[in-house]
Amino acid sequence: MPQTRLFRTSSFRLAAIYLALFTVSVLILGAVVYAVVHTQIATEIDQDIEGESAALTKEYFAHGLGRLEALIATRGRSFAYGLVDAGGKLTAGELAAPRGAAGWTYLREPEGDEPIGEGAIDVRALVTRLDDGGALVVADEWRGARGPTHALLSAFAWALAATLVLGTIGGVLLSSQALRRIEAMRGAAQAIVAGDWRRRIPETGADDELDHLARTFNLMFDRIESLLEAHKAVGAAVAHDLRRPLTRMAQRLETQLGREATRPDTAAALEAAIADIHAVLATFNAILRIGQIESGARRAGFREVDLAAVARDIVEAFQPAAEEEGKSLTADLDEALPLSGDRELLTQMVANVVDNALRHTPSGTHIVVASARRDGGGRLTVSDDGPGAPGAERQRIFERFFRLDAARSKPGDGLGLSVVAAIAELHGMACAAEDNAPGLRIVFDLQN
Amino acid sequence: MKVLIIEDDEDGAAFLANGIAERGHEADVACNGRDGLMMATGPQRYDVVIVDRLLPELDGLSLVKAMRAAGSAIPALFLTSLSGIDARVEGLEAGGDDYLVKPFAFTELMARVTALARRPTLGAEPTVLIVGDLEMDLIRRTVKRGGQAIDLQPREFQLLEFLMRSEGRVVTRSMLLEKVWSFHFDPQTNIVETHISRLRAKVDRGQATPLIHTLRGAGYTLRAPN
Repeated sequence: MPQTRLFRTSSFRLAAIYLALFTVSVLILGAVVYAVVHTQIATEIDQDIEGESAALTKEYFAHGLGRLEALIATRGRSFAYGLVDAGGKLTAGELAAPRGAAGWTYLREPEGDEPIGEGAIDVRALVTRLDDGGALVVADEWRGARGPTHALLSAFAWALAATLVLGTIGGVLLSSQALRRIEAMRGAAQAIVAGDWRRRIPETGADDELDHLARTFNLMFDRIESLLEAHKAVGAAVAHDLRRPLTRMAQRLETQLGREATRPDTAAALEAAIADIHAVLATFNAILRIGQIESGARRAGFREVDLAAVARDIVEAFQPAAEEEGKSLTADLDEALPLSGDRELLTQMVANVVDNALRHTPSGTHIVVASARRDGGGRLTVSDDGPGAPGAERQRIFERFFRLDAARSKPGDGLGLSVVAAIAELHGMACAAEDNAPGLRIVFDLQN
Repeated sequence: MKVLIIEDDEDGAAFLANGIAERGHEADVACNGRDGLMMATGPQRYDVVIVDRLLPELDGLSLVKAMRAAGSAIPALFLTSLSGIDARVEGLEAGGDDYLVKPFAFTELMARVTALARRPTLGAEPTVLIVGDLEMDLIRRTVKRGGQAIDLQPREFQLLEFLMRSEGRVVTRSMLLEKVWSFHFDPQTNIVETHISRLRAKVDRGQATPLIHTLRGAGYTLRAPN
């Protein structure tokens, strides 16, 4: 299935929304944890500095400046120190306090011998003024606090990346699975629309909401199918049951006709009545025939047939009649159209279309029956340059009993092209009525 | 001609029997398959059997199969309801000689029954058909009338051949559609009429006595003048 389709599924969209929400929560969580940890570490550093500073000040008051200088020189590297005299000159340690500074401040610590510049970092410092006018500076490197917070940040960055990757993968998996099942549903529904009433939507057995939906749809299709069957059965039953009395009626009239042969008026009336009954019976037969074709029973006897050869026979058979009516009927059937089918039905299919073209066009019309190759199969067309059919009506000419307004006065039962549609469908052919500009073109597309 | 009608619809059977009798032939009726088989294989010699496909006791197909198994070669014509669209093929495979879908015009049935009754017995196939001064050479595919060669299209040749083989008998439109074009349906367009008129133009035009005759409401016949 195409990638773009996958990303356009509702489940993928849902997954994307969830992913965004997760990302935001991870970010908020990270920010909160970072703030808490950062504050905690800063507080601890401040307390450490305060303690160290207090201890040193205490030593200073007890033992004097010399003791303080000595202590600073020997203290470990956990703090940074600075001792300035009243003139602001650094006398011990490495951190000079700015003049007049007291209390908490941030200082820039020089790195080694480098002058304070880009590489310098801020350090948290407590400046305590001494009673000789000097000041003691105790600082802790922020560097110490940066370690844990950095680790924390990178951990969260990884977590975020993992969330994004897993979320996307999950979304794709989720939506492709949902898409596959939706596709299966769509395929089944399309097959049903195309006339395969036996098709049903597959159920996975997971008994989830999609299965429930599939089951409901299948029940709906069952219902539609049974209604449709009932609808067809009514027509067929009426046609079937009325045939016998009508046949008898025609037989009685025929018997009577034999006796009335000496009275021309009565004989003519009887003949007309018999002809009408036969027309009704022919319509009934066509209805029953469509039903039989649609039942698909004839598929069992399918053989290799060349539809182009069938069409050639039809053209040959209809040509004299066409010429008699001042129309031309020509074949352009060099391209063979092999298919598996029922020759008799295919013959009737082409004959009905040619019949239709002959009956509904004026003298001088050109009718062409042609075969051609196209992508994915062959094509048979029957085109004429007659009056054609208006767009809206053209789409309906395959419907049962449908007749163009212009054709209502002409003989015919409106079933000829319905028979054509039923035969085409039985053979898996798509048939369509197109505008031949001018005229009508009936197209049969064979599937390979 | 003696015809046996095996049909369970009594009205229909009576109609057929009356019609056949009115045309000067004899007809017996059997109302179920078992009786029908007994009569068909009995001492009475029939020229044609008309068998309905759907019969009580023994269906039409089995009946004709049993007839053939018993060695009877009487031509059989099936009457079928359309509800079996493959009925024709089945019927022919079972040993039937022709079929007719109900409802049908009586003239249609009569023409077919007559054709079956006069079917030549198997033997030497003629290589030349002759009707009056019309002569058809089936080997060389040539046609002459009064010694004059007539040029025919293949389909016209087939049409004329069928008419000549049915000399003197009524040939209906649907018989021609079936035998000449293999069309088992009746197109609205008059394809039989136009082909016949073309054939007529070639065979009968300029001749003192026409051979091809139209029988209104029934069909065509080809016969030599008496």
